[in-house]
This record gives sequence, structure tokens and C-alpha cells, in this order.
Amino acid sequence: MANGNTLSVTVSPHIHSREKVSNAMRDVLIALIPVTAVAIGFFRWDAVINIAVCMATAALTEVVARLIARKKITLNDYSALLTGLFLALLLPPATNWWAGVIGTVIAVGIAKELLGGLGRNYFNPALFGRVSLILLSTWYVWIGGGGFKGTINGVTSATPLFYLKSGATGVRPGYLSLFLGNPGGSLSEVSILAVLVGAAYLFYRKVITWEIPAAIIVSAFVLSAILGMDPLYSILAGGLMFGAFFMATDWVTSPSGRNAQLVYGLCIGILVVLIRKFTAAPEGVAYAILIMNAFTPLLDRVLLPKKFGAVREST
Amino acid sequence: MGKLKTFKGGIHPEYNKELSSSKAIRPAPIPERLIVPLSQHVGAPCDPIVSAGERVELGQKVGHSEAYVSAYVHSPVTGVVEEIVSRKNFAGQTVTCVVIAADKEQADFPKRSGFALESFTGEQIREIARDAGLVGMGGAAFPTHVKLSPPKDKPVDTVIINACECEPFLTCDYRLMIERADDLISGALMLKKAVGAERVIIGVEANKQDAADILKSKASGTPEVSVELIEVKYPQGAEKMLIYALTGRKVPPGKLPSEVGCLVQNVGTAVALFEAVAWGKPLYERVVTVTGPGINEPANLLVRVGTPISVLIDACGGYSREAPGKLIMGGPMTGWAQEDASTPVVKGTSGVVVLGKEAGAVVEESECVSCGKCIIACPMMLTPNLIVRSAKRGQWDRAKEFGALDCFECGCCSFECPAYIPHIKYVRRAKSMLATATK
Repeated sequence: MANGNTLSVTVSPHIHSREKVSNAMRDVLIALIPVTAVAIGFFRWDAVINIAVCMATAALTEVVARLIARKKITLNDYSALLTGLFLALLLPPATNWWAGVIGTVIAVGIAKELLGGLGRNYFNPALFGRVSLILLSTWYVWIGGGGFKGTINGVTSATPLFYLKSGATGVRPGYLSLFLGNPGGSLSEVSILAVLVGAAYLFYRKVITWEIPAAIIVSAFVLSAILGMDPLYSILAGGLMFGAFFMATDWVTSPSGRNAQLVYGLCIGILVVLIRKFTAAPEGVAYAILIMNAFTPLLDRVLLPKKFGAVREST
Repeated sequence: MGKLKTFKGGIHPEYNKELSSSKAIRPAPIPERLIVPLSQHVGAPCDPIVSAGERVELGQKVGHSEAYVSAYVHSPVTGVVEEIVSRKNFAGQTVTCVVIAADKEQADFPKRSGFALESFTGEQIREIARDAGLVGMGGAAFPTHVKLSPPKDKPVDTVIINACECEPFLTCDYRLMIERADDLISGALMLKKAVGAERVIIGVEANKQDAADILKSKASGTPEVSVELIEVKYPQGAEKMLIYALTGRKVPPGKLPSEVGCLVQNVGTAVALFEAVAWGKPLYERVVTVTGPGINEPANLLVRVGTPISVLIDACGGYSREAPGKLIMGGPMTGWAQEDASTPVVKGTSGVVVLGKEAGAVVEESECVSCGKCIIACPMMLTPNLIVRSAKRGQWDRAKEFGALDCFECGCCSFECPAYIPHIKYVRRAKSMLATATK
């Protein structure tokens, strides 16, 4: 648009829905309000500090990384802030603040920016940061500090998943308590209701579709039942619901086609139950999603939608 | 009323038809100089058969081609050929044009009278379509006589009149349905006769209920013609989507409608065929919707081919803003943005849409975030995101696997794309690379 009367000459179409990536990221931030509010309500300053530290670190990391790479600063797409908030919500409330800093730097600096920024990352940055912290804390005890090292998922009492794993039912929190609000595990694992309210908003705004969450929840429920675990408890306890609606649906790291999404969700649900049942890890959601993140490009390429009017080769 | 028929995928843009839908068709002024391209169609360009200084009559053939897939070009006015020039057309391709200086006085076309459909054979109708230079007037401009001659082993039983006009803003077909309903139905019956079909279905989007009602009452005495309301959704007027919505038949990838026994012609083409058969009038003018937020008085104009669009803009009260942001020939979904208003109208020009500065502001394409909205929107069930990725990497075979050659460039993917990726740019690149590769 060098001179005043130059007409814009671009390829069709010439009109647009006006949706933007930043709108969607903002929608996810909005959808996280119920979960965040519940977390702050239950954990007070522990939650506030974690969230503030992670979001601030995320923003700072992104700015520094992009300055180093001489790229445009893209804070206004909200994706860094979102990663910071996600990571905070994935951490147990008693986590040391510097563990949050390390996790966020790994999430934004390595999992996202080092790979080229939003759209080029293979793994969900927040989950990558979270799992990195778990792994690091097994070697460097100080990272676990006041938090999750040596206890289950970071709280000193048994988490709901402990009961699922051990099969003890007598003293575990009830279904309704899990649904409405039961502090245990990470910040985001308090209330299923809060997760569902946020998820409803994401559906309403068409940020997510039903395929991935439904496939995860149904497959986890069914496989739990087959393996003799309480299926309802399986899907209500731990991070399964939060993972299904908020983490596994991450645009960049999940498949974009419907068939691929269904298989992706199915595999995540199965992996979650298998990890919970057969490994030493108490929770399997983060691992399951990260593992399937790695298969996303393959699933998208192999499970293409059937073209309009296409018939099988033989006919 | 039950759920209206439609197809899977597609989008719901703002239609903005009310800007021009109530404006009756009126003739546009005839400019002093007309620039008549000799290639206004899909297929071989015509060669000029007139030379500079020669007088031409209204409707006289000025461009001819021996090639079967081509369409003759006729003089839109009575006047004198000034020169034969090469010039960029609306799509940026260089084409030969006949520049004609129009006489001050223009007589009306001498219509033939005493028309009776029974006296024409299908063969004759096909010949007339060819002699009249008829092309698909919905925008694709495919020569009509070719479409009217499907392969012998693929009999056509159904003629579909595309009365969807699913492109936002455009109302030229709507006005023809309202004002020329009888001629439209006659034209449809000619199409039916030309291909030996059993029935005619006129598919109208539900936002044109009044037009459908008029057509229904006019066709009430003709049982082989039915009028069907279908869902308002873009691109409902795409050939394959329309056939599917109306008949449930799916045209396989890479095949033509005759594969499933259908012929699709747009409203404007049916009316033009009527004029050619009944009146002996070649295709040298058409209805063009001149509209958009950037136009003072939107209108539906009957325009001579070769008229520069600046003339139409002036005829509609000029630009409504200091400077328009975008000047589009065709509809806003599939039309072509113009560098200036000197481009002449051709047989396939359905509209001139002027959008404001905000539409002209170029939003920079950002990295694909794999949201999958393009896949949901694609009416052909392709994977536009993967076509783009393959094209960026130069993996043309993969682009083909993901559907680059099946894409008809409706633009739904880019309309929905939150990263503002111009998918069609990449699709066209893949198509041209794949075309050169097979040569």
C-alpha cells in the first residue's frame, strides 16, 4: 500500500470470518477461569503464586527467545501466557516457585520457541514442561523441594488416584466430591464441574470439537471397566477430564482431521489407563498425551478424510 | 417444513444481498470504446476475424476458433474496430482484445420472432449455443455447447438449473429469476431437449423464497420442471454440491456431472440460451451486480461485454469512500481483485464488488496452528492444511494426494483460517506444478 489509491490485489477469497489465532487463545484463557478460580479458592496463595510466577516467566521467556532469534514479539497472540497458566495449573500447589520457573522456561523456551514458535512445536509445551520437571526431580532432588518429590503428585496426603491404583475404596473421596471439588493432585484436578464449564465455553466458541475428548473419555472408561478398575472413578479422578478437554485438544499438537482425532483420542484413553494400572507412575494423562503428540503428524497423514465422491479402488 | 437439503462442510458468510436485491435490472451506459477479449472462456482463445478500421454490426462475430472447446466472440455494439491489442484480463492473463469504437446511435438487437421449441432438434440447439458463443455465466465460463454434448455412454437424465447464487453480494441471477422467469423456464426446457433429459430441477437457496415462488407458479403447467428450495450455505452453487443436494448423487473426483447423469447450468446461461434460440441473439451482454459497501448506489446492470468496470462504477454513483480497499470482479469468495477499474466485463463477470479499506488491509499469513477448521469447512472433504504444507515444501505428489487437483477453489478454507493462510495461492501453485510435471 505504497501510495494512497492503490487497491489491494490478493488471491480470493476476499472476505473472512474474522477469527484469529489470538481470539482462540484468548478464548482458552477465558475457559480456564473456572478451573483457575476453583484452584485459587482451595489453595489460596500457593495457587496465586504458582500462576503468577509461571505466566510472568512464560511471557519473559518468549520475549527473550524471540529477541535472540530476531523474530517479531508475539505476546499478543496470548499463546505464551496460556502456556504459563497451563503449566501452573498442572503443578501441585506446594511446588516451589523456582520449579515453576524452570518448568516454564523449558515449556516456552525449548518445547515451543526452540522449535520455531507457535505452530511448529511437536509437543504440548505445558505438558512438556510438566513432565520435564517430574523427570528432573528424580535426578535433582532440590527441584522437587517442597513439592512433589517423594510424595504422590505433590500433596502429602494420598490423591484420589492413589485409591484407584491401590483398589482401596473405604476412605476415598466420593464421586460427587470429585465432581464438585476435592483438592488432590494438581491445581487443575480439583473440580470436574469447573473443567466442564470451561469446556462448554470452548465448544460454544468452536475452539474444540467433540472427537478428541469423547474418544479419550469413552476409551478410558471402557478399558478401566475391562481391567476391573472403577470406570467412573477412572474418568473423574486425576487429570483425565482436564487433559481430555484442555490439553489433548491443543490445536498445534493434536491431529486436525476427524478420523485422526478419533484414533488419537482413543489411544490417549487407552494409554492413560495402562500407565495408571501397570507402571509406577501415579498419573498417566500427561505421558499419554505427549506420547500421542509424537504420532500426530503420522495420524494426520495416514487417516485422511474420504474425498467427496471417492469410492474404493476396486469399484 | 423439514430440514432443507444441502451438503457437508461449507460456510455461512454474511450475504449482503439486500444492498442490490430490490434493484430491477437496468441497462448500463454504452461506453465510447469497448475492449472485447477474444478469450473469455475456458478453452482455446479465438482469433480475430475483423481488422482495424472495419465496421462491425451489433452481434456480428469478431472472434472465431476452429477448436471445439472454445466460444465465439461477438461485437457488443455497432461501430468501428479501432485496433487489435494484447491486454491483461481480469485474472492477469494476457489476451488478445478487439477494441471497438461504438457509434453514438445504437439500434436494438433485431429479435427473431415466432419461436416454437418443437421446431428445434437437440442438435440444432447445441449448434445455436455454439454459434451464439454461449458459456457458463456463473463465473467458470465453460463453453456451453461442450457441456451440452456429454459422452454417448453417459446419458443425462436430469438438467439442474443452478439458481443458488451462493456468492455473497451477487443478485444478478436473483433478478433474472424475478424478471425473466418465463424465459428462464423456456431456456431450461431447451437445455433439457439438447441433452435428451427427462426432468429439470431448479435449485434455489432458501433466502430467495420469493423467486422460487414465482418460478413454481410459472412452471406449474410443466410437470417435468420442479423447483426445490435448498439450504443457504456457501458453496451450495458449486456443481458437485448442488447435484448432491438435489439428487443425492456424488460426482467422483476428477469426473464430470455427466458421470452421474446430470447437467448443471446457471440461471444466466439458461436465459442466454433462450435468447439465442428464440431471438437469434448471440451472447454479447449480461447482467452484472455492481455492489458492496464501497459503492454509492448498488445496482443490477445489463452490461455490454467489453465495458470497462469504471463505467459501471460511475453509473452506480461512484465510490462511496475516498478510496476503495478492494475492487473485485466476480463475487467476494471466488472473484478476482483488480489493480484498477479499466478491466473490461466479460461473459463470465457476475459482479463488481467494491469493498472498503478494512477488506483491503492485507493480514499477514501466520504459521498454521492445525486447528482443523479448513478441513471441517472443505466441501470436497480435502485437507487444505496439508496441501499448503506440501506445497511449501515442494512435495507436489503429496499435495495431489491431499487433494490439490480436486480443489475447485471455493475459498471456504481461507475464510475460516485463523492464521489467514491463502490456501488457494498454494493450491494453484500445486496445480500448475503438477500440470507441468505430467507434460
